[in-house]
Amino acid sequence: MENTFDTASDEVLIQHFKDGNEAAFDQLYYRHMPNVFKRVRYVIPENDVEDVTQEIFIAAMKSLPSFRGESQFGTWLRTLTNHKVAEFYRKRTRKQEPLLAPLSEASGKVDGSTSKAMEERVYLQKALHKLPENYQEIILLRFAEDLQFNEIAKLMGQNLEATKSLYRRAITALRNHLEE
Amino acid sequence: MTRVNDPSSNQDERLADFTERVLKGQAKEIDSNADQELRDLEETILRLNSTLPPASLDEAAAKQMLVRLKARVRKEGKSAKPSFWEKWFGVEWRSSLPRPQFGMAFAVIAMIVVLALLIPSLVTSGSPITATALTPSQNVTLVILLAGAILFIFWITRRK
Repeated sequence: MENTFDTASDEVLIQHFKDGNEAAFDQLYYRHMPNVFKRVRYVIPENDVEDVTQEIFIAAMKSLPSFRGESQFGTWLRTLTNHKVAEFYRKRTRKQEPLLAPLSEASGKVDGSTSKAMEERVYLQKALHKLPENYQEIILLRFAEDLQFNEIAKLMGQNLEATKSLYRRAITALRNHLEE
Repeated sequence: MTRVNDPSSNQDERLADFTERVLKGQAKEIDSNADQELRDLEETILRLNSTLPPASLDEAAAKQMLVRLKARVRKEGKSAKPSFWEKWFGVEWRSSLPRPQFGMAFAVIAMIVVLALLIPSLVTSGSPITATALTPSQNVTLVILLAGAILFIFWITRRK
């Protein structure tokens, strides 16, 4: 069944899912999961990446019936991802849980990284999270999703010059946060 | 409109170009010809790239994650607590309401209906002298209590 959906557009798949075909959702998942995963992995501590990614797709599954196609599905999913990432940090702040697992848990290696590398990772992720939304977005689009500047410009509805200027301001802001 | 001679525009270009080279693996250290400000930004880019390298997910891992996702959806579906409406009336009213605004509209309509039913009893018929009894104030209290109860039920059902 999945093969019949290989060439179907997102809109067609969404309609099939709304009509009760779960395989259509699987196809949407395989199509968009890599980008969601890359984005989440960029901003969420390693231990929570899969959990947050699952929450995004569960939320997508629940919200799809009311998706009206006013924006592209990819854009909608990107917004949902940002929302879930913000929720993750909000919950952590409320529970006052540290973003970094205790060193006893992290003493081994996760993905080949040492605990010091993990600390640096969390430090950078926290700095990224403090940036204004448009600064975070352009860094994520370039680094996490590996989009070219002209693709980012098109996505953001800006010209290339303005996009590169926004990018430089975003990196400057990140630098300032890292120096604090 | 052109900003060719604008130094900041020049920096934008150089930083974007440096980023492209870093992400393609063609630049691994700061461009020595850059000015100090640009060198600082280039250092930040190198730091970002080394600490948070681009992630990739192979097909097998994606499949395993989908299996775990579906298991979680099933588990959550089984353990989900029935809502107030489902519990007491055997109907999942809220799932048939596509947006929260509809829930609010339902509460408002319910209030209007209650008021419409009770207002006639507040209006005294005949001589105004007969309206001096305590009944109207009791009715007002009743209306306020009913409205409060409806809002309370609505609030309870919206709580997670």
